[in-house]
Amino acid sequence: MSWAWQNRDQIGHLLASHLYLALLPVLFGIVVAVPVGIMCVRWRWTWPPILSLTSIFYAMPSLALYLVLIAYTGLTDWTVIIPLTLFSLSVLIPNVVDGLRSVPPPVKQAAVAMGFGATRRTIQVELPLAVPVIIAGLRVATVSSISLVSVGQLIGIGGLGYLFTDGEQRDFTTEIWVGLILIILLALLFDGLLVLARRWLTPWEARAPRQERRRVVQVALRGANAGVKGGSI
Amino acid sequence: MITFESVTKRYPGGTVAVDALDLEIPDGQTMVLVGPSGCGKTTSLRMINRLIDPSEGRIMLDGTDISTVEAPRLRRGIGYVIQQAGLFPHRTIEDNIATVPLLEGWNKAKARDRARELMDLVGLDANMARRYPYQLSGGQQQRVGVARALAADPPVLLMDEPFSAVDPIVRSSLQDELIRLQNELHKTVVLVTHDVEEAIKVGDQVAVFYPHGKIAQLDTPQHLLGSPADEYVENFLGFDRGIRRLAFFSAGQLDLETGTVLAADTTVEAARAAAQRCGEPWVLVTDGGNRQPQGWFAVSDLDRQPDRETLGSLSLPLAPLGHTFQVGRDSLRAALDATVLSRTGRAAGVDGDGRVVGITTYERLRAAIQTAEQAGLDGNPDQPAFREGRTTPEAQQAGADDAAEPAGEGVRPS
Repeated sequence: MSWAWQNRDQIGHLLASHLYLALLPVLFGIVVAVPVGIMCVRWRWTWPPILSLTSIFYAMPSLALYLVLIAYTGLTDWTVIIPLTLFSLSVLIPNVVDGLRSVPPPVKQAAVAMGFGATRRTIQVELPLAVPVIIAGLRVATVSSISLVSVGQLIGIGGLGYLFTDGEQRDFTTEIWVGLILIILLALLFDGLLVLARRWLTPWEARAPRQERRRVVQVALRGANAGVKGGSI
Repeated sequence: MITFESVTKRYPGGTVAVDALDLEIPDGQTMVLVGPSGCGKTTSLRMINRLIDPSEGRIMLDGTDISTVEAPRLRRGIGYVIQQAGLFPHRTIEDNIATVPLLEGWNKAKARDRARELMDLVGLDANMARRYPYQLSGGQQQRVGVARALAADPPVLLMDEPFSAVDPIVRSSLQDELIRLQNELHKTVVLVTHDVEEAIKVGDQVAVFYPHGKIAQLDTPQHLLGSPADEYVENFLGFDRGIRRLAFFSAGQLDLETGTVLAADTTVEAARAAAQRCGEPWVLVTDGGNRQPQGWFAVSDLDRQPDRETLGSLSLPLAPLGHTFQVGRDSLRAALDATVLSRTGRAAGVDGDGRVVGITTYERLRAAIQTAEQAGLDGNPDQPAFREGRTTPEAQQAGADDAAEPAGEGVRPS
């Protein structure tokens, strides 16, 4: 750990670049996925070809894509950001589509019957109701992206991934551990932030009442307690 | 006025949901479309606000062909209530209710004021305004649904099986509430249901559909029960329509026995004389001062009691009063029900303050029913029929008070 403290400036830099490389693709992803998802729901025939396309993005090995892109974008951040954006899209588009489709039919019908036009209906009714599903997709995309950035280190652009290759070359395990732990912490942090964002955006969702939650916790604790006692005998 | 002019809805594959329907829905009335599932009643309703477009024919709303009006604009002028309310889960109660005003471009403060007004109208507590739909019961959600449909004060209200998803007690109170609202607002209401009881209870006119998109009979509930057009309608109405029809005749038509209504300070001797004069085997004892009914004495029991004693001082137990019926408000059905349930075969009719007006027996009921039937056959069909709980302003008030109680007529001692 003293190593990490001594190298805090370098690690800070790597951390910042890691976040930049990981989050920008998710941002691009959501900005593109929402309109594309809306299109796929509104014009149903567009959905099958786009679904195939997202599957291809998902299946494509990112390393191969980096190598192909070097020819066009060189050794710049874009070489990492573009493949990760495609990966985010492959997660987010189906989520947006599922989210929009999860709106209960009576609610949709009520919106039509109240006199919402198609565009207002999408923006004011369907999209807000799709938020929980969309955020579930964002969590997957964000955590994956934070983890996948380090692969970029194979072409020299990988944020905290540097600590893996450097540690490996110097045969210095501590450095690898520091990289690993930081990436996991980052993933947990952003996942947690998204959970909070969902709570904040969806005050209308039925949640287990506080008492019920407390009861669940108590039951869990009692179980754990019993387990510990059992073990000590 | 909504007019269907030989409207047909044919689906790809040849299914005909609605078959050359002609229907006139007059302003300010409640028209109920009732029939088995798949009979085209819901399709007909949804064609009025263009959720479905007809294959042939046209629908006129106040003289305008609705197909010439842009659909969203048409819909904002027509209230719509659907099964399970269909509230927007992400909007608070007040914002749900303010939906159409907001679409119409009202400012938010004005729209919310209007929402509060409507919450009051449909009997929702003001502290629910900021809650979300999931925090409300099914019945409360349905009230919000009605308030939302009324928010922009549309002249027409479409209700698509509005009460079918709530339990029977809540359903009955929502029906009472609709009747009360309609007394106040006089909207043109089109309500779809598969529940013939509901149709008869809330409808001014009822259209009974055959299973294949044609109307079997269009009539007032009273005439529907009195003279079903054919066997199909008769079966659809159910077996006890004769008794249900009595709900459309006022108990005020009964010629009530008053000679055997006796105050508690009447002597046994006088009571026996009164019973003999009227030829009645039972006398009804009231508590003197304000004529509140207490119970019955059999004349045969009075024979063994001392002449000079007053009825109130006898140690003889009274036969229980049983249910009473309110003469100005209740129907012959309520009076018959009270009589059937009474151990003495008699029931006391009371006024609004519970004072005895008189006694009915099976014989007197029979005479009143016969007169009513005759008047019904001879009478003007356009003349508004007696409806339980909604004849006079006074009676309307009584009907509103009933809303909180389970369905039922007369007084039910527990």
